[in-house]
Amino acid sequence: MSTPVIIAIVIGIILVLMYNSLVSKKNQVENIFASIDTQLKKRYDLIPNLVASVGKYMEHEKSILQEVTKLRAEANKPNISDENKIHLDAKVTSALGSIMVAVENYPELKANTNVMHLQHSLNEVEEQISAARRAYNQAVTDYNNAIEMIPTNFMASAMSYTRKEVFEIPDTQRENVNVKELFNS
Amino acid sequence: MKSVSELTDFYYKKLHPTLKDLEQDRKKVKKRVITIGVIYTLIAALLFFSLFEYMNIEFIIFSLVGYVALGGIVYRFLISDYRNHFKEKVIRPLIEEIDNSFRYIPDLHVASEYFNRSFLFPSPDRYSGNDLVKGKIDGVDLTFSDVHAEKEHRDSKGRRSYSTIFKGLFIISDFHKNFNGKTVVLPDTAQSTFGDLVGSFLQANNFSRSGDLVKMDSPEFEKEFVVYGSDQIEARYILTHTLMEKILHYRKHSGHPVYVSFRGRNIYMAIEYNKDLFEPSIFNSLLDYKIAMEYIKTLHLSIGIVEELKLNQKLWSKHG
Repeated sequence: MSTPVIIAIVIGIILVLMYNSLVSKKNQVENIFASIDTQLKKRYDLIPNLVASVGKYMEHEKSILQEVTKLRAEANKPNISDENKIHLDAKVTSALGSIMVAVENYPELKANTNVMHLQHSLNEVEEQISAARRAYNQAVTDYNNAIEMIPTNFMASAMSYTRKEVFEIPDTQRENVNVKELFNS
Repeated sequence: MKSVSELTDFYYKKLHPTLKDLEQDRKKVKKRVITIGVIYTLIAALLFFSLFEYMNIEFIIFSLVGYVALGGIVYRFLISDYRNHFKEKVIRPLIEEIDNSFRYIPDLHVASEYFNRSFLFPSPDRYSGNDLVKGKIDGVDLTFSDVHAEKEHRDSKGRRSYSTIFKGLFIISDFHKNFNGKTVVLPDTAQSTFGDLVGSFLQANNFSRSGDLVKMDSPEFEKEFVVYGSDQIEARYILTHTLMEKILHYRKHSGHPVYVSFRGRNIYMAIEYNKDLFEPSIFNSLLDYKIAMEYIKTLHLSIGIVEELKLNQKLWSKHG
């Protein structure tokens, strides 16, 4: 086999490997995002119950409850973009956190089994979302690195791959102070 | 759980009469071992030199191996009574002092099925161990023992030899969550040996491990450990920032390589000591502070795993 043919084959193999690696990174991001989506949906499904259970008691927090209901309605709209989902998630996390902290001030709520059960389910979903967010951010970092680093960046621009946004993980979750711990403290 | 200093107090104060008796025994055994050792070596040397001219290199190696092996058997036989007394009179009371619900069985070990189920090491061809401890601490089941797992090799002439896969403490603890996948945390030897660039490449392309590399978002943890898992999200669900910190802390405390895996309902931990633990050395005094501390610290560390990882606080919720 002549040298130019060998060089062409080697270049061909490198190009295929680069292409496959980019596609697999993109798919990994999409795959993990789908898991987050499922968990976010689970959390959105819990919100009406939570608002109904605590709404009667929480006079001073009416605005947060309305806010969370509004955010839920927005998140449930069809064809919402991934970026929007990420932004809504941050807002919902913060609003739910505030509600959970507020529950502390209402002894009737703390004793209510329905609220306790909701807290537990919400906490479980929060933990799952938190894990999925961390996995997503890692996948996005790998993907973003690949589309910006030489030599895969040339291939990525030919494939019109663009940077993806990461989830901002609240500081409280970095320290692992989650809703449940806020409750039990 | 009792603190290390409380246990050290117990060792010196409550066990003192026993330790004094045992120390007398130890001195006698040591004398006997040295005397028999010298006689044994002299006879072996005499035989060796009288037959030297008829020997080839293979026979010399064979006789040296035989000398060491037979010496080992004789040594074990000579110290066996002392060893049993030591385990019954020192190790057992120490374990019971930590928690009287613990059962101590000196001759048993963690079953090999658990060792294999942990997915921490390849399946061994030869498996042994001793000093099994079983019990509950703060309502969490805990089992541990010394374990020695070996792989068999055969050379071109069909001769068998063994190399160690793992030697040290193997701990199994229950927790309140059932995991679908498997998550394995190993000491990061690739990165510490080959540096960041080559090490990362080797980690990402580790063909001997099932599961994918899971990069964790804690630089200190990443420096010490490498994680493989069948589920990227579940691995992060288990390894929260708090748990990563606790494992790091445990690694620092033990001062030895630590392996952890999560499978089914259990957490498996292996701490590599490369020696048989809780065995008395006849050449060191039982009243030596360092020796005593080593027994106590190891016991404390193995039982303290529950406290360290706070399994009893149901780090993972029971439902879901």
